[in-house]
Amino acid sequence: MNKESNIYTFTFAIIMVLVVGVLLAVTSEVLQPRKKQNKADKKMIDILSAIGIDATRANAKEKYDQYIYDAIIINNTGDVIEGSAFNIDVLFQYRDKTLNPEDKKYPMFKARKDNNDYSIIPMVGSGLWGPIWGFVSLESDYKTIYGAAFNHKAETPGLGAEINTDIFEDPFKGKQIINNDGEFVSIEVKKGGAEEGNLYQVDGITGGTITSDGVTDMLYNTLKIYNTYFSSIIISDDNIDTLSINNNIELK
Amino acid sequence: MKNSFFSKQHRKLISDPMGDQNPITIQVLGICSALAITTQLENALVMTMAVIFVMISASMIISILRNKIPNRIRIIVQLIVVAALVALVDQILKAFLPDASEKLSVFIGLIITNCIIMGRLEAFAMGNKVWDSFLDALGNALGYGWILVAVAFVRELFGSGKLMGYEIPGFDYLYDLGYMNNNLMILPPMALIVVGLIIWVQRSRNKELIEEN
Amino acid sequence: MDLINIFIKGIFIENMIFAYFLGMCSYLAVSKTVTTANGLGLAVIFVLGITVPVNYILENQVLKAGALQWLGENFIDVDLNVLSLIMFIAVVSAMVQLVEMIIERFSPGLYSSLGIFLPLIAVNCSILGGALFMQERQYSTIIEATSFALGSGVGWYLAIVAIAAIREKIRYSNVPAPLRGLGITYIITGLMGIAFMCFMGIKI
Repeated sequence: MNKESNIYTFTFAIIMVLVVGVLLAVTSEVLQPRKKQNKADKKMIDILSAIGIDATRANAKEKYDQYIYDAIIINNTGDVIEGSAFNIDVLFQYRDKTLNPEDKKYPMFKARKDNNDYSIIPMVGSGLWGPIWGFVSLESDYKTIYGAAFNHKAETPGLGAEINTDIFEDPFKGKQIINNDGEFVSIEVKKGGAEEGNLYQVDGITGGTITSDGVTDMLYNTLKIYNTYFSSIIISDDNIDTLSINNNIELK
Repeated sequence: MKNSFFSKQHRKLISDPMGDQNPITIQVLGICSALAITTQLENALVMTMAVIFVMISASMIISILRNKIPNRIRIIVQLIVVAALVALVDQILKAFLPDASEKLSVFIGLIITNCIIMGRLEAFAMGNKVWDSFLDALGNALGYGWILVAVAFVRELFGSGKLMGYEIPGFDYLYDLGYMNNNLMILPPMALIVVGLIIWVQRSRNKELIEEN
Repeated sequence: MDLINIFIKGIFIENMIFAYFLGMCSYLAVSKTVTTANGLGLAVIFVLGITVPVNYILENQVLKAGALQWLGENFIDVDLNVLSLIMFIAVVSAMVQLVEMIIERFSPGLYSSLGIFLPLIAVNCSILGGALFMQERQYSTIIEATSFALGSGVGWYLAIVAIAAIREKIRYSNVPAPLRGLGITYIITGLMGIAFMCFMGIKI
């Protein structure tokens, strides 16, 4: 058959498209479970990093099962709702402008390490050039930070991008989100440096003010929601006595 | 007369693109996906592997089919073959090398528009036998690759004091002496300047390559 | 104003040439004179402004995970992402073909001066790059995606016209022989990139 004829050209094109389509579809299907697992592993590594556990893709699942014992979801008024916390994509939710505030879901993970309980909170915010996100872990008093891990997509290397380094993250340890009067104050990433001994501030990044402000806002907006939930369980819990002794909270 | 597999002609197919006919510095092709990922050596190596795979496979496929492709749609056919192979590589990376896939993000997809690949398919694979096409593709891909690796080597070493993500032994000593990483190396413009310097060296050694005004 | 920020970002900070090196092939080849650079730059703005929105619709209505919901409930699990590369490049090629035909019909002068470059835009990395960045950044509305496309186009235009102007002048300078032509262009582009970084942090 003449290879320049219309029929030949047409047939050739169709066969080609079919072969390519099938090849790609099959490959995608076959590799799908692996891709899903990769995503899940990454999430587990991030969650574990908030309590200071370094996991690799190889041992992510094992360590996750070892340290994380529960996961809950709360809504924007602090009530617990049903669902799988792990499967919530907070970044997607943050970007979805069509979502109502009352439909937003806030996952939280509970971890146990060295006989202590920690709560791990994922959060998303806006940096200078793109989204920033992080995982913050609180101690069992729901006010002291145990660890923080941040990351970003497109911040400036050497400046805003430094939020994912130990130098930025370590000072969060031991800071508190509730002040001595029992008010929620979150943590401020202070431009120019935190005041000596101030439990509610950390050093900002010189030259990375907008990113640092982004972290401050992200912490405030997210922790505020979880704080509503925390206040409700602190009041209703049995550990009331231990809490009030440790933190001088006046109960009304 | 059949040439032996590794005759002089064949070896030239590989050595030319790595030196005097280097696709990036001489033929001005394929820079696009090259430079943005050269901040880390590991990225450059993964990208080179991906390009080698796509180029060799595309060249061989087109060469095998070269007498069957209707002339009217030959560019589209080439494009589809390359696009399909790149999509394949993208899927494989996402599944088996997820960290590299994240870092390379859109640049894997941009291999499709890498001028070198389409250029070689049209200029060589469409008119030559399979083994020759394979060697030509390999040579050009390696020529492209070594520039990428060279630039990435310089940028990662001087920009972050590491290679392949690992700290270099002697650097601690240098840091104590007050040496600091050259952050400018990590920023995009340096990639262009480093390539400019490589071109300078290459053309100084081979006067024939100097452009006339 | 988010839209304006995206537009400005595309021109100055996330410039297709200086930050991502997309479209370098035609950039280096066509920048010998300002007139050709001007023509190609305008063509790129035009093509980007058309292909990115079209690909945006394609991405959100067909390719994204769960995008095919409008066809019916049982399509919600379909994820055609694996086909995105092929579909994007197909759309770009088709659009460029269309633009070519339109320009030939309405402005034969422009058509002949652009010559071979018009079909070459189809494989210009910046066009496909625009589509891929749009997909990766998940812009929420088509207006945002278009703003990004136009900003990137204008940035590319600025870059190529600027380098063409410099190259015209530099013919009279004492560039070392091995650097003449290609080498010095790379270095100048790098320096321009450094200069453009001053725009970082601008927010309207």
